[in-house]
Amino acid sequence: MNDISKRTYFALALAGILLFGIAAFVVRFFLYSDRWVTFSGSPHVYSSGNLNTGVVYDRSGLQLLDTEDGRTYAADSSTRRATVHLLGDREGNIPSQILSHYASTLVGYDKLSGTNHSSGTGELRLTVSAQVQAIALQALNGQKGTVGVYNYKTGEILCAVSSPSMDPDNPPQTVDDASGLYVYRMFHASYTPGSIYKLVTAQAAMETISDIETRAFTCTGSTVINGETITCPKAHGQLDFKQALASSCNCTFAHIALEVGARKLSEVSERIGVTDSFEFDGLYTKAGQFDLSGADDNALAWAGVGQYTDLVNPFQFMRYMGAVANGGSAAEPYLVAQAVNNGSVKYRAHTAMTGELIDERSAAKLQQMMRYNVEAIYGTWNFPDVQVCAKSGTAETGGGSNTATFAGFVLDSSYPLAFIVVVEEGGAGSSTCAPIAGTVLQACINLMDGER
Amino acid sequence: MEAVLEFFTDATGSASFLSIYSSVLRVAMPVLALFIVLRCAKSLLGFRREPEIWAWMRLATGELIPVTHWENVLGRKKSADIVLDFATVSKSHAVLTRHDDGSWTIRDVGARGHVQVNGRQVIETKVNYGDTLSLGGLEMTLEPISNEEALLQNLGRTKAGKGNSPGMTLVLLTLFQGMALLALSFNMGQEHLMQFLMAFGELAALEWLLFIGQKIIRRSGFELETVAFFLMTIGLCVTGTSAPGELQKQMIAACMGVALFLTIGLCLRSLDTAKKVRYVAAVFGVLLLLVNLVFGKELYGAKNWIMIGGFSFQPSELVKICFIFAGASTMERIVTKRNLILFIIYAGFVCACLAVMRDFGTALIFFSCFLVIAYLRSGSYATIALMVAVVGFGAVLAIRFFPYITARFSNWGHIWEDPLGKGYQQTKALMCAAAGGLFGLGFGNGWLKYVAAANTDLVFALTCEEGGLILAVLMVAALAVLGMFVVRSAKVGRSSFYTISACAAMSIMTVQAILNVFGTVDFLPLTGVTFPFVSNGGSSMIASWGLLAFLKACDTRQNASFAVKLSSKQRKRGKEAAA
Repeated sequence: MNDISKRTYFALALAGILLFGIAAFVVRFFLYSDRWVTFSGSPHVYSSGNLNTGVVYDRSGLQLLDTEDGRTYAADSSTRRATVHLLGDREGNIPSQILSHYASTLVGYDKLSGTNHSSGTGELRLTVSAQVQAIALQALNGQKGTVGVYNYKTGEILCAVSSPSMDPDNPPQTVDDASGLYVYRMFHASYTPGSIYKLVTAQAAMETISDIETRAFTCTGSTVINGETITCPKAHGQLDFKQALASSCNCTFAHIALEVGARKLSEVSERIGVTDSFEFDGLYTKAGQFDLSGADDNALAWAGVGQYTDLVNPFQFMRYMGAVANGGSAAEPYLVAQAVNNGSVKYRAHTAMTGELIDERSAAKLQQMMRYNVEAIYGTWNFPDVQVCAKSGTAETGGGSNTATFAGFVLDSSYPLAFIVVVEEGGAGSSTCAPIAGTVLQACINLMDGER
Repeated sequence: MEAVLEFFTDATGSASFLSIYSSVLRVAMPVLALFIVLRCAKSLLGFRREPEIWAWMRLATGELIPVTHWENVLGRKKSADIVLDFATVSKSHAVLTRHDDGSWTIRDVGARGHVQVNGRQVIETKVNYGDTLSLGGLEMTLEPISNEEALLQNLGRTKAGKGNSPGMTLVLLTLFQGMALLALSFNMGQEHLMQFLMAFGELAALEWLLFIGQKIIRRSGFELETVAFFLMTIGLCVTGTSAPGELQKQMIAACMGVALFLTIGLCLRSLDTAKKVRYVAAVFGVLLLLVNLVFGKELYGAKNWIMIGGFSFQPSELVKICFIFAGASTMERIVTKRNLILFIIYAGFVCACLAVMRDFGTALIFFSCFLVIAYLRSGSYATIALMVAVVGFGAVLAIRFFPYITARFSNWGHIWEDPLGKGYQQTKALMCAAAGGLFGLGFGNGWLKYVAAANTDLVFALTCEEGGLILAVLMVAALAVLGMFVVRSAKVGRSSFYTISACAAMSIMTVQAILNVFGTVDFLPLTGVTFPFVSNGGSSMIASWGLLAFLKACDTRQNASFAVKLSSKQRKRGKEAAA
């Protein structure tokens, strides 16, 4: 009998497995139950196919969406079109990642009492201004592209519009796949940057070449590197560093890129976040690309002027602009100001700082150079009231079409705004994008004045 | 009755009462459940294991060794029940067995030094008190336990239920049931009020009748039944919220189950009867399966149902009980007939029948139970490993070649990828389980009940949703307590027949719980296995009570179990037989 009774411990293993499994489930419950309860189609928080999270407001208190009973969007069609990428549509073609992320908070779910107290409606307040977004969308005028503006001191994103857009109350019957209507370009697209990437090369140069700011360069309109020609639209002649950036001289920056080297250029690209995907407020941004593995000198030169296989995501470049404007590091951008359930604030955004993307001295120098760009090339008349610093780009994407890019910031502590404008098939960067940037920045400034 | 109805009608119409209910009772139910499970666990797992002494073995040296089981291995090895550490004695030399009538036999188990009784070499023979036994030349005599010693022992052993009154626990359980009844009645509206009142009334009557009946025959251990009734209460809530019309059927099944429980328990009182029933049960099990194979109807994907006069019935549930009878064995047989061939063939047949019916979940339960029995009888890890390997290989082939099983496995771990298709049941289960939080939404308030098989396959999630995570965990913990109790009481077991059958019964219940719960939460593929006592289903309820009888028969605490004869009476009979 002693033998048998000892052997019964074998059977105890089964009870052990059962208890161990239950313990594992309890752990999973505490880790994931908020995701389960708000998963698409969850019976306690969804009704007629949509998440019943409550009401979404923009920064000015304008109601953008009420999720109850099949979703009620803003009354105004232009507001609906300007914000649909943030809110998602009824059919789920444009996912509402932000709402999903805050769903459990908004419905008042907590792990202790489940959905018991979830009767009250939630309120989500975004940092964007629907009015500014509508102006930006109008400025894009149906062209494919995106406009982003954010406050680099606080992190609030004021504008993140994606074009083309659609009216969720009147969705198109047929959608052209190539239009990318459902893509939120600000966060989920990546583009060949073109000359705005010269800012990165310039930063790398200032960090490696001590006399870069006093050097003289000569541009003859073309230069041969590794048997292949790199050209400028015209011969720029004698240039210094500042003028080379303002003229966006490919020949000069090709040689600077060679001198800086692949390793340093890659290091700076990684540091400023080009190759990263950022996660915030339920959004996962698309990572860019800076890959020089196996590249020859010619490829390195092209990469240094924002061509080759370079890709940047608009959001991440805007964040980089914020860091340059703010002297090296800036507030991390965000979209959701606060989430409220049943009158009590369950989430409130806090300003978090990026690491040092660029050292303070180089940032200051870059500010001066970018200000010079505006004064000498783009024209201050685009930005009458404030001191804007910028760089344009005209990225060759093959097939004869160009992506127009324009990135920069306002150097004014009252209006600490960094921005990016991207227009696909947009022709020349500055002429296409600078007026758009001017219009949107002016809208933001008016808004900020109004809020004071 | 009318007054009660009136009370409910008033109460359900009053919003303030409902809000008080939801805030207070929602928390009170899990707390009360915790007390109930803890009290049962304390009694079942905390009792002192005081051996029963049935006789004395006096060695030639004058040393007295207590004989504490009905089946005792005599030998040189340390794990022998009566250790005879002499070089001429074999490791396992002989088995000394006590019979129902109090008589003793000794059996040579193939030892080198042979066994002699009163100078005659024997293989198996009766032993009277005072007879001189000789094992490998070592002489000893079996002596009876005197009346005074027996009396002292009875007084000395702790009575079951002492310190943690089972009656009190049952009062708490009844209170818990009252709260459950209130919850269902308030949340489900007046339409089903009568059904709830009837079912919970019957449940209370059944448990108290059983308790009082056992009190009358001086049995005070009621923890095993309390655990079963606790699980049944959750079961009634689960059925009540999802299919109130089936409550009556469930209670009828419960009554039949309790009848089976009593029958098997009484039959297990006498080992001689049990050994005879063994063969009948084994044959009956085969017949049940054959009938099932021939007349089986396919319901819910498996052909394991038969229809009798409008009632659907799952014979494989009752086969579990037959299987245990077939697998249990006494020490004498275990030591002498070492091979398991017959039982392996039997188990193979049962599993093959279930595979033909495409009831792979149940087949897995039987296989696990078979492994437990095989190990208890053989003690050989190598054999078990070999069998697991062979069956595992077969399982891999089955998964590969049967599209029905492949489909289940392809979905395993990927439920969130197809939440509206193959992952529907489990994703909904998890969404709803999460919605319940720790204290639940209240029984009757859930949504999961609208999903197919919510009150059978998904009971864990349904309990999470409506009763809360705490209650759902307690439901599983209560079952685990039963398992641990069996292992704990094995040390003071009377016969290996009881120990093996109790272990087998508890492993069936535990594996069922494992497959049921882990299937729901996507730790394992969903197999459609019931949770004992909780899942809605008559056959399962009857079988669960049948299995509990085996646990009852291994409860040797003083005056604990109706399925165990009082040791004082046993000795009295022994005396009479000797005289």
